[in-house]
Amino acid sequence: MDVVSQFQSGYTLFLSLLVEAIPFLLLGVLLSGLLLLFVDERRLVALMPRNALAGALAGSLMGFMFPVCECGNVPVARRLLAQGVPTSVAMGFLLAAPTINPIVIWATWVAFRDQPEIVVLRILFTLVIATVVGAVFSVQKDLTPFLQPAMNAIVPQGKPALESALLRGGTYWLDQPGQPVAADTLALTLAPPAPATLSWAARLPLLLDNTIQELRELGGILILGSLIAAIVQVAVPRDVVLGLGQGPIISVITMMILGAVISICSTVDAFFALAFAATFTPGSLLAFLVLGPMVDLKGIGLLLTIFRPRALIYIFAIVAQLTFFFCLFVNLRWS
Amino acid sequence: MQMFPVIAKQWYRQEWVTVAALGLWGVLFLLFWLWGRLGLLIHPNYFPLAIISGFILLGIAILQARRLAKKQVMPLQHLSLLPPSWMSWLLVVTALIGLFITPRPFNSDTAVHRGLGDGLTVTRNKPQAFRANTPPEQRTLVDWVRTLDIYPEPDAYSGLPVNVEGFAVHPASFPDDTLTLARFVITCCAADAYPVGLAVKLPQPRSQYPADQWYRVKGRMITATLDGQRQLTIQAQEVIPIPQPDNPFAT
Repeated sequence: MDVVSQFQSGYTLFLSLLVEAIPFLLLGVLLSGLLLLFVDERRLVALMPRNALAGALAGSLMGFMFPVCECGNVPVARRLLAQGVPTSVAMGFLLAAPTINPIVIWATWVAFRDQPEIVVLRILFTLVIATVVGAVFSVQKDLTPFLQPAMNAIVPQGKPALESALLRGGTYWLDQPGQPVAADTLALTLAPPAPATLSWAARLPLLLDNTIQELRELGGILILGSLIAAIVQVAVPRDVVLGLGQGPIISVITMMILGAVISICSTVDAFFALAFAATFTPGSLLAFLVLGPMVDLKGIGLLLTIFRPRALIYIFAIVAQLTFFFCLFVNLRWS
Repeated sequence: MQMFPVIAKQWYRQEWVTVAALGLWGVLFLLFWLWGRLGLLIHPNYFPLAIISGFILLGIAILQARRLAKKQVMPLQHLSLLPPSWMSWLLVVTALIGLFITPRPFNSDTAVHRGLGDGLTVTRNKPQAFRANTPPEQRTLVDWVRTLDIYPEPDAYSGLPVNVEGFAVHPASFPDDTLTLARFVITCCAADAYPVGLAVKLPQPRSQYPADQWYRVKGRMITATLDGQRQLTIQAQEVIPIPQPDNPFAT
């Protein structure tokens, strides 16, 4: 293929990924902003089961209430921990919410509607992995060695901390009269916590600000991700792509690395994976779709605000191994 | 929340760039719709989603511009991977490129690069809609390829009338009187478009039929041996140049 043709088809591909993905990004950002601002998560926390396995599963399914991608889930998980949800619930939510939510499921369906097994297995694998990791971490009764000192300061030990924030230490902003907001929580949240206490008139501008910041951040990442997908499709020789994409093991490893490095938002990562659908094994596409939302470079910085590095290494190791084995099984079973 | 004047000025400038970025993307979506370019990029099922997104993005930009002009926006702390101003400029520059450089439909080079002729697609060749009862002369190129997917014996179709449209691809391994008539099939966006094609035996050397030109080919099905393989081939009686369709992808 000559250079002009390469450029033209790469450019068309790049724009097509953006034009297909941006509406889903917009929808995801709007919906997650609406729910973050209009749903009182403290009521949900009170309903969470205390049993480790049931809690992990319930946490994994909470994405339906908070359809956040992997940038929004960390602040929410932080708030959940601070409000005293069991570790299993918070871990399940942290790992599964970016995938197990209506927008991401719909986007995956749009991208892979002629391979519905990809959609079903993505949900199933994510649920199983998030639940297993949540249950494993709940065995650790005292989370203090795993959490950052700042988190330990705000995580209540033993019982839910639904009492007034004034009983906890730390720095506070006086956001609304009589509504102090913890600085260590505010620093990572897009909107002040407990927004359900704000008036509607105050919440709408917050929604607009939140939407714009998320679109700027995620839109930028989406552009970079689409650029990489377009370049790989047109510039890398087909033989090389087929060589990497068709081996049952190497294809899974390649896509796991790509998923962790590329840090594309889970709302639109299915479209990115689509660019590889013709040349990569189904198991490897799943590896990208399952691992990417749980483990990526972009999220490490955010996760380090909750966990110490040692805990993150444990989490990533379990997630990566389970993803690898599940996806390899798919390749060996259905190829 | 009070800010130092210099920081405030920088922050407001950055917010204006973001507003411009979102507004430009809104305009881009709406102009692609009005200029008929959406069909080059995505499946028609998703046109409404793209158009509505264009209106919403434009609306968000207008609302935020009004608030910024009235200084009603307060800085909000938000952790991000790269500096927000980089992201805003990336969005602005990409939208401007989209507005000024027209995307082109995929051509014969892309078809070959994407595997036309090497067993079609490796993993995505499942028919989504198939009408077996369509009379042969009304079948599209894609219908023929899907028919072949299901029952691949070329002799079964010998003598049937054909009337199909597509663009010309000149595979290097084919003789001088044969080309491939091809189309791209789209299921979601151009990223997943894959080429399908049928060999055409021409009445004249293929240099008379330049690659990438669109043709309507009328003729009859025959079986020919090309590249050492028996293949269903169209014996062309008429090869008429046609303009490229508004929506070049088959669905």
